[in-house]
Amino acid sequence: MEITTAERQAVTIVSPAGRIDTVSAPILEQAINQAIERGTRKILLDFSAVSYISSGGLRVLLATAKKLKNPGDRYGLCCLSADVHKIIRLAGFTSIFSIYPSEGEALAGWQ
Amino acid sequence: MPAGSEPLIPLQWQPVPGCGEARIYPLIRKVDTVSSNSFLVQTSDAIILIDPGGLPAQAAHLASLIQAIQAERALPLVVMLTHGHVDHYVAALSVPLLVDPCTAMVALQEHGVEVVESADRRMTQAEVLGRELAPMRIDLHLLAASNAEGGGEPVRCRYANGVTVTVVQKPMESGLPQEELILGSGPRIEVYHTPGHSADSCCFQIGGLFFTGDLLLAASPGIAGISGWDQEALIRSLDKVRALLSCGGIEVVCLGHGPMLSVKDGARVLEAVQRDARRLTGIAELDPERARQTAAFAEDCMEQVHELFTVMAGRLYYVSHMMEELEETDIARGLHALIRGDVIDDLLDGFDAFNREYHSGGYVPLNLALKGGQVVGKLQRSFNQDELTQIIDPTLVQRAERLLGDYITMLRGFSPPRGIAVHDLRELLEGCIREHTVRSRSDDDVLASTDDDVAFGRMLLARIGMPPLLADTAATVDLGAGPLSVPVDKERFLDLVTYLLEDLVGGGAATIAVRAGREGEAALVTLLGDGCDEPLTCGGKPHRFLYSLCERAGGNLHFTDREGSRWYTIRFTPV
Repeated sequence: MEITTAERQAVTIVSPAGRIDTVSAPILEQAINQAIERGTRKILLDFSAVSYISSGGLRVLLATAKKLKNPGDRYGLCCLSADVHKIIRLAGFTSIFSIYPSEGEALAGWQ
Repeated sequence: MPAGSEPLIPLQWQPVPGCGEARIYPLIRKVDTVSSNSFLVQTSDAIILIDPGGLPAQAAHLASLIQAIQAERALPLVVMLTHGHVDHYVAALSVPLLVDPCTAMVALQEHGVEVVESADRRMTQAEVLGRELAPMRIDLHLLAASNAEGGGEPVRCRYANGVTVTVVQKPMESGLPQEELILGSGPRIEVYHTPGHSADSCCFQIGGLFFTGDLLLAASPGIAGISGWDQEALIRSLDKVRALLSCGGIEVVCLGHGPMLSVKDGARVLEAVQRDARRLTGIAELDPERARQTAAFAEDCMEQVHELFTVMAGRLYYVSHMMEELEETDIARGLHALIRGDVIDDLLDGFDAFNREYHSGGYVPLNLALKGGQVVGKLQRSFNQDELTQIIDPTLVQRAERLLGDYITMLRGFSPPRGIAVHDLRELLEGCIREHTVRSRSDDDVLASTDDDVAFGRMLLARIGMPPLLADTAATVDLGAGPLSVPVDKERFLDLVTYLLEDLVGGGAATIAVRAGREGEAALVTLLGDGCDEPLTCGGKPHRFLYSLCERAGGNLHFTDREGSRWYTIRFTPV
């Protein structure tokens, strides 16, 4: 799995590409943790290139929510494929973090 | 007996129990349909190879061991086949040492001789396993009727590779046709005819070792029902072998596939196999067509299982997360034990990888069907159904159970059970929609539990873990008036409606309309979601599994997706 990280408008945008499965979920978690260790408190996961998420991937999403729950922290997902969005909805995660149709809408909402 | 879980050590020479100087080299493989285990036994007068296996590399390795012995002592080679299935012998054809009449004498029960010598693709299982096959010569016909015609007198034969074998017919003390092979002064080989897995299946005994071929696998899903399989004969063989194991003298049971067993464990497994075998009356023959159907069902089933288990695990993580937020860390930790998410992910990823190789031509349908069986068996042991239904939506857990159960039923050679009976669709739909709209634990239930910490904890878990599926979606229901009675498999219909509602909710539908009524003779149920996201994968089509589920429920499924509106129509046409 390839993961790119970018900074825009004081937000760290983490963009994984491919399947988030048993092998790649820990890699995504590590990339997110590194961003948090660098001091960022605003993380947007851009899932536009994610085709599949396993339960291990869902666990990483919740673990990140737990780390970013202080006042002023921001955490959300954008650009979900229909399949991934379905899993996240049915698992009940939409009440834990925000989901945006696009990166632009997420950043606009966080300013 | 050596330490460790196996009674003998694989890939090492060691003494044969009860046989003086004889030694054995067990080549034990993980269980698959490609190749069997092989066992090499060296006695004072011969080298005995039991089942060369199905992999050329395996046969080459065995040949190098044989050559190493023969470099020191000119011992002749006897190749004993437990039965004539390709995974047990075909690799021998790739190594001249194992098949050349000048270097090897090959023995097989006489019912298999014609099968192997004529390269019968059906009876050797080459057809269903997609294997290349060439004829192979058999020198010694075990338990041949012609031997009995000689009045039971010992028959002595000398073969081209120099081995002299004396065959002694024995009275059927064990209840099984039996004979003894004498190879010089070394230990004798007892041969027992144990048909069932195939007509030519035999068990061999050398000292304290008992070689069972595939006898103990013969009732397994995906193996029972293969061409040549015979339930009655199998039950009889199992019964007699069980008696043999209890007579004493046998210490280790060497299986055709998988680890060796102590005689005690072997007897236990045999008892379980006997129970399984008795339940298999009327199963379909596992021919290439059934293998193809089962493989297709494995794919469909696994696609849906993937989604169900991910949602189940996700929901449990969600409950756990919320309990941690409420500082109930002990409860949160306990939840993780109810579903082994990492194990499930590994299993499902493993199946996906196998399926990709299957589609790229690496495997035949039977391989995929058996892989599905392995994965489903392990999945069934990876979640605690009873506890989970107390915490997350029970229909998720029940659907997962039913799906896995249906797959194993099909792999065993039966049709998944169908409970078609006349039911009123309106009544079924009303109940189903109510279940997905009303909270399973009411506010009053929660208030009533506040005096008891444990009851309150459980109530809280269920309240968080079981939000109604339609909690955040506006649903309208128009089921018309009067009954709408049709022949339907009630459980599968309700499962189907739940899957379709999940698809609409998961697809982001802002409103859902459920309608039922008649169109001429047919009864129609329509589920319409408006404001949905872009279509899901499969070119916007629902999973193939949903179409087959609808057929099993007694109806036909139609699907339309246009500009954010998604229609599912289930049509029940009178027969």
